[in-house]
Amino acid sequence: MKISVNVNGRNVDADVEPRKLLVDFIRDDLHLTGTHVGCDTSSCGACTVLLDGVAVKSCTMFAVQANNRNITTIEGLSKGDELHRLQSAFIEEGGLQCGYCTPGMIMTSAWLLSNNAAPTEEEIRNGISGNLCRCTGYDSIIRSIQKASSDRRGGRK
Amino acid sequence: MTEVLMPNTLAEALSMISKDGHDVLILGSGSDVIPRIREREIVPKKVLDLSGLGSELNYIRIEGNVIRMGALVTVRQIIDNELFKGRLEAFLQAGRMFGGPQIRNMATVGGNLGAASSSEDLIPIFIALDAKVKMASIDGDRLVPVSKLVVAKRQIDRRPNEIIREIYFEMPDDSSWTAFFKAGRRNSLIIDLINMAMYLKLNIDGTKIEDIRIALNRVRGKTPERAYKTEEYLRGKRIENETIARAQEVLDSEVQLSSDFRASAEYRKSLDKVILARLINNCRDRIVEGRRTGN
Repeated sequence: MKISVNVNGRNVDADVEPRKLLVDFIRDDLHLTGTHVGCDTSSCGACTVLLDGVAVKSCTMFAVQANNRNITTIEGLSKGDELHRLQSAFIEEGGLQCGYCTPGMIMTSAWLLSNNAAPTEEEIRNGISGNLCRCTGYDSIIRSIQKASSDRRGGRK
Repeated sequence: MTEVLMPNTLAEALSMISKDGHDVLILGSGSDVIPRIREREIVPKKVLDLSGLGSELNYIRIEGNVIRMGALVTVRQIIDNELFKGRLEAFLQAGRMFGGPQIRNMATVGGNLGAASSSEDLIPIFIALDAKVKMASIDGDRLVPVSKLVVAKRQIDRRPNEIIREIYFEMPDDSSWTAFFKAGRRNSLIIDLINMAMYLKLNIDGTKIEDIRIALNRVRGKTPERAYKTEEYLRGKRIENETIARAQEVLDSEVQLSSDFRASAEYRKSLDKVILARLINNCRDRIVEGRRTGN
């Protein structure tokens, strides 16, 4: 099936097999391998991308369902060499160990902050409750998100 | 190879399934179905994706005292809608614990009704609200009371040429409240061990239960059902500790919960009793509070 999607601001026309998952389209066809596959069963959140600005699990939809829609992956967050404030905050606060869950964590957080510029710790915990980190690094992940949110407001805690 | 049909209008979708609907699996968003296709648990010949029908099937309206929700309303939209912040609190209580955030962004009301697995949290709430489902087909609409919708695990009363179009119910009045609770091993991304939804109406002076509807999942063959005997016992009673204790016994004798790898039937039954008491008190407190503050 022919689809037309906007990925990270770039229009892409493609002919995809109807059963192909969005995550496989992103990784195998577009070679954007920052989006990870952790579980394949809609549990871990490593494959989270933004679909029209909303966090979704890209292993849980067909690529053809993204026809005429906007997708943002982790590669689309930075502007050239300038990292997104969430990416910088994850580095500064040590919000990752092995890094496998990180793209999904950051994409979910980007969606969270787009709805709520200054979430409480509880709102952050709820917000990332669909993303699993098996290095058990949640505390530093939460600190990273808090830092990104306070950076946005122009001040540091 | 599975063919994916992607109609742009409901009329187009209905004509696509008017003849060989048996072969077609219908997707709201796919958040339930796609992982099952991946696992080869189901191997559909054709998949009908409704996501292009947002302009026709995605709405929440109130007409008089009737609330109508299109099949493509997402769980996220319910949580964010002011309409569900008061007497329809059950939806918020279920919505906040539904799947995980990303799943709430995708999962649809119609998909929840259509999937009809024992963990579909919205179904018991719709049953407690005595909601009706509107099925569309090229022959016209057909109404199914949601209490009759689920006929067996993952099987609903839907004809092969039909699409779930809408669900509607009456807004509870100011003597009423709804509540929902589910118990699982953790709050996020979990299939619940048990869930229960309640609609409770107090009498004019607020001392007795005037009406009550209780719906649970996993009753008899894993289908959701009303606890009619418990309701009957509670109707007209004062909410006192003894009444609740007796109601718990009635519930215990009435439900036939099953054991599986997640929990034993005994454990589920003991949870049910606690949840029953909690929901009764929750509804009562909120009605009384609302009267005091005039909401």
